Amino acid sequence: MKNIITIVIRLTVSCLLAATVMGICFIFTSGAKKHNEHVQEQRVMYELLGFKAGAEIPSSMALHEVYRYVVTAGGKQTIAYVVPQGGGKEGSLFVSINLDGTMAAQKELPLSEAQALDAKARLAAVTAAAEPGATVIFADQTIVVTKDGKRIAYILGGKFQGFKTFVNVMLAVDPAFTILGLDVLEHEEDPGLGAEIDQDYFKNQFKGKPFEALKNIDVLKAPIPDDYLQALNGKVGEEDVQKFREQYKDKAVYALTGATISTRAVADGVKGIVTKFAYRINVLDKILKEQQLTVSF
Amino acid sequence: MMKSKFIFSLVVALFAALLSPLAAQAGDLVVDQRFVDKKEIAVTFAGPVDKAVAGNAANYRVFEEADPDIFLELAKATVADDGKSVVLTFASPLNAVKTHVVEVKGLGGADKTVFSVSKSYLGYLFGILISALLINNFVFTKYLGLCVFFGTSKKKSTAKGMGVVFTIVMVVSALMSWFFFNFILTPYNLNFLQIVVFIGLVSLTVQAVDTILRKVNPILFNSFGVYLVLVIANCVIIAVPLILANNNYNVFETFMLALGAGGGFLLALYLMSSVSERLQLAKIPPTFKGLPIAFIVAGQFAMAFLGFSGLQLF
Amino acid sequence: MANDKTPMQLIARGVLSENPIFRLALSMCPAVGISTTVMNGIMLGIAVLFVQVFSSVTISIFKNLIHPRIRIPTYTLTIATWVTVIDLVLAAYLPEAYAKMGIFVKLIVAFAIITMRLEMFACKEGVKDSFWDGLGMGIGFMVGMMVIGMVRELLGSGAILGYDVLGFKPLLFFILPSAGFFVVGLMMAFFNWIELYYKRSKGVQ
Repeated sequence: MKNIITIVIRLTVSCLLAATVMGICFIFTSGAKKHNEHVQEQRVMYELLGFKAGAEIPSSMALHEVYRYVVTAGGKQTIAYVVPQGGGKEGSLFVSINLDGTMAAQKELPLSEAQALDAKARLAAVTAAAEPGATVIFADQTIVVTKDGKRIAYILGGKFQGFKTFVNVMLAVDPAFTILGLDVLEHEEDPGLGAEIDQDYFKNQFKGKPFEALKNIDVLKAPIPDDYLQALNGKVGEEDVQKFREQYKDKAVYALTGATISTRAVADGVKGIVTKFAYRINVLDKILKEQQLTVSF
Repeated sequence: MMKSKFIFSLVVALFAALLSPLAAQAGDLVVDQRFVDKKEIAVTFAGPVDKAVAGNAANYRVFEEADPDIFLELAKATVADDGKSVVLTFASPLNAVKTHVVEVKGLGGADKTVFSVSKSYLGYLFGILISALLINNFVFTKYLGLCVFFGTSKKKSTAKGMGVVFTIVMVVSALMSWFFFNFILTPYNLNFLQIVVFIGLVSLTVQAVDTILRKVNPILFNSFGVYLVLVIANCVIIAVPLILANNNYNVFETFMLALGAGGGFLLALYLMSSVSERLQLAKIPPTFKGLPIAFIVAGQFAMAFLGFSGLQLF
Repeated sequence: MANDKTPMQLIARGVLSENPIFRLALSMCPAVGISTTVMNGIMLGIAVLFVQVFSSVTISIFKNLIHPRIRIPTYTLTIATWVTVIDLVLAAYLPEAYAKMGIFVKLIVAFAIITMRLEMFACKEGVKDSFWDGLGMGIGFMVGMMVIGMVRELLGSGAILGYDVLGFKPLLFFILPSAGFFVVGLMMAFFNWIELYYKRSKGVQ
């Protein structure tokens, strides 16, 4: 009996000690983790826009977040957007659009752009603005990049099925939906084969692809020509890179050796993300114009 | 909030698993709906329908459940001669992983008929099992549990015993871990304690199986008991809870993953032990005796298993 | 049982005569799984080194307070604690490297080598010796991972630490997942061969 009590006491003490160590470590690292994730995300975003690490970002450039929600109420679905308000006003706008692209409702939300970054606060505000009893599901977010008040790019994120599991990407497109850059954030493809999708020479193939070419994008099972490969790896001058980009912009994407399915998955995934976004932003712009709503972008 | 979501998913899973042939019907009109080809959806009706309505592509609105505002472009709708079924052909390939919603206008006198098309949930569950068993075999494609794998794959009888004990412990501990993860770790934001909790649960399961087996079936314990100790110091057993925590699996999916992982380990052990028994008769260069040749054999198995990768059954 | 080895001998034992990967053949999973580059080997090696040293020291400090009947659970708890710590630190400060190692950092908790060193050494010896022993084993593991990584990276992608050395890719096969088994198997055979050769030459003399 005495034995059991000592065992229990010692085990409890060691558990408490372990819990203290882990707890302290968690408290110290959780803040740094969030901060580093944010920094990383910013870095990827600016790199997609063409600002290498350390490059100066012009102060006239601004990023505006647009959030999309799917609202279901009584068997009827609408798409709701939360957009930052323009015209010098603080706060956000809630714009709800019917499935056929007509206006459903709009409201002003008491959320500043900084407050809207918090997912919980945003969801609460959207739920309050929507019809009572509606289910609100967060769909995605897009960043509109402006320079001197003019749109210069959109940054989109997305997740799609790869060869093994999901591939998570971030891409930047210009206002005409030509791809400015692609980055693979997460994937679990086979090393040496499908994992090459995160290599520069693969990602750069998408750079400069116009929307029309992207809509009918195809995958070519052939080795990349040597001179093009050099250009994709950034081993030639900027002018030559541009020349190659121009030459290959309407052509199919070269498949990775031994990973045609991964290549096709990325090509189709990127195409899906951009075409869906292009449709949505056009609808949103039309509605904003019709209703004469001013937004910050 | 979290809890209700999980209970909801559990209920949905139950319904889907039990009623999958009956579920997702719109009235009594639509009997069956499924993806056929990459670009096609086939719909079967209870009785003949108006061919002019069902054959008109403009009467259909099809979208993915998550993107209700984006309608998929329909190339044509072909009605069968008896008017009982229709094949919808789309302009571009469908993403069959996602649930598709089909709305038909004016069918059978109704204003609007809505039904959804998705892959059968049972098929999906079976897919998880096959994936853990073959495609993502824990030994040959994830390289886990190698110490025990090379240690106990000398004889077929040992391999079988080890594999069975492993599978049992894995299923029990995975289900317990799922429960802890979803109802304690996630709601209270304690995810950083994953490792400690999961390894504790595994040890607990091993101890419990040990005690129960000793009391209930001493003969079985005598033949299998020795392997139980080896289970704790093994990465396969702790990898299963970690993977399910990453993927947000529900309880059925967890069960299938654990079963597949255990079965895959059993399969790997059995294959390897069959070869090992033969190897004992073979003339092996002295430098390769023992572990080196076992590694080379395992490498060949791994290459063979690479052939399963990308396999899609359902 | 007092330990009569100097720190240097303890480290040398971990790296050479009792190398966890090539000699003891423990903790093979990461040696096969993520040894595709030297960098991966170094990163996981550092994580294991950290866990090994801290666990050894912890157990050695508290060795008189641990009840013999709950020895193994206490070891597991200690290891799990330090693994959690390194897991959190890596996730927070080195997210890219952490993503590459994936699940293997968390799996350090099930590495046989760490438990074995606690049972065989740390629970009997003093704090200082346990530290050196843990350091030796950790370095031995890291060296093993690095050597395998070097072979695979050099032959598979013609580079070392990401720098292109050869300028061409000799055998893409070596970077494929299943090649890990072959590389480890062949290297073990190579070490056996050296040993046999050494013994034979001694025998002849």
